[in-house]
Amino acid sequence: MDGRTFFRAFRGGGGGKNGMSELVRLTEVTKVYQGGITGALNGVSLIVEKGEFTAIMGPSGSGKSTLLNLVAGLDRPTSGSVAVGGTDLGKLGESGLARFRRDNIGFVFQFFYLLPNLTSLENVLIPAQLKGSDATARARELLGQLGIQDIADRFPARLSGGQQQRVAIARALINSPTLLLADEPTGALDTHTGDQVMELLGQLNRDGQTILLVTHDAKLATRHAARVISVMDGKIVDDARLESPERAASEVIRVRSEEASR
Amino acid sequence: MSLKFGVLGLLKGEPLHGYEVKNRFEAMLGGTWEVNIGQIYTTLQRLERDGLVRPIGRRGDRGKLQYELSPEGHKALDQWLAQPDSGPQQLHEDIYVKLLLATRIANGDLKGLLARQKRAYLQRLRDLNRLEERARRDGRVDLARLVRGALLHTEADLKWMDELSSERFGAEEGARTE
Repeated sequence: MDGRTFFRAFRGGGGGKNGMSELVRLTEVTKVYQGGITGALNGVSLIVEKGEFTAIMGPSGSGKSTLLNLVAGLDRPTSGSVAVGGTDLGKLGESGLARFRRDNIGFVFQFFYLLPNLTSLENVLIPAQLKGSDATARARELLGQLGIQDIADRFPARLSGGQQQRVAIARALINSPTLLLADEPTGALDTHTGDQVMELLGQLNRDGQTILLVTHDAKLATRHAARVISVMDGKIVDDARLESPERAASEVIRVRSEEASR
Repeated sequence: MSLKFGVLGLLKGEPLHGYEVKNRFEAMLGGTWEVNIGQIYTTLQRLERDGLVRPIGRRGDRGKLQYELSPEGHKALDQWLAQPDSGPQQLHEDIYVKLLLATRIANGDLKGLLARQKRAYLQRLRDLNRLEERARRDGRVDLARLVRGALLHTEADLKWMDELSSERFGAEEGARTE
């Protein structure tokens, strides 16, 4: 994959690991759903820095998707506050929230949610059109960098799952969001295709994109995300920052057997 | 056991002397298993005693003595390869004993132990991911498969920690420790 320079160019060379600054702040957030406790949140506080690739893990019903939806401004907390890029989402009305999402958030879902009667290119362009900008050139380049330029004029029904998810990623990136949110983006893909999609997200992050990923796949989460937050029963139970030193194979795996006797 | 058959398997390709066996064995295992030359010589001697390999040429400097598979050696290797690995599950790691002890000593409060262990497994997953990447970069598909197995095992360990931590499993009352 040689998308490096491309993505950096689009992002104006910004972002990156140094010069951390706060992008997301959740303060004592609770979310209560009527008629049940699944997906509820119970006093969650969390800060995500710019440039981080953070994975949120937890069993289904633990509240991890709720967390993502609150950060995206798709849902409002019962109490507590959510701020993204210094904007307190609680102070925004519905149209303000819609504008916030359009300008700041890219969202990738498990089941792609492409509009079936639009081509790949047209799907990618939707967020830009909502903004009133013509981004056809950028859309085509995004498709190229994601390796799917040749399917620009095809409809979703004629695409594989991996291709559909790439189109969805291009759509999420078209407005250069400050924050890319991904909710089980590999959940509907086979292992190999899922690996490729995750590799793309890893590449985006290396080029400065802040990413918040919800997944239940610890293998995939730890491959790219250096921070893994575990959510259980609506609470953050662990917040691990992982190291990535070069380790000798024998420090990581030892194939053992009983002594070579007998 | 698998050192013995590893040596047999390497000799199936061509006759080798002790150091070649050591080097090729370690290269095959990609650094996940280091053997000393003494173990290799001991293994070769036992294999010769059992009639599974035989030396080529005159016995002299053992560093220069090459070995080849005997027909019995071929048979033993094929049999071993055809057999499933059906022994008892090997639980080598300290955590299994720690867990049992902590259940008694810490009066069943495992929170700290489980949280620390979970971190360690997450870090190991990350390290394994890097190892898998490296193996693929080096064109070592066989080694990447081995790492993949380790990844899945560690994922299972992580799920085990989560299960023990969750309220349903972790706080079982009156857990018997007999």
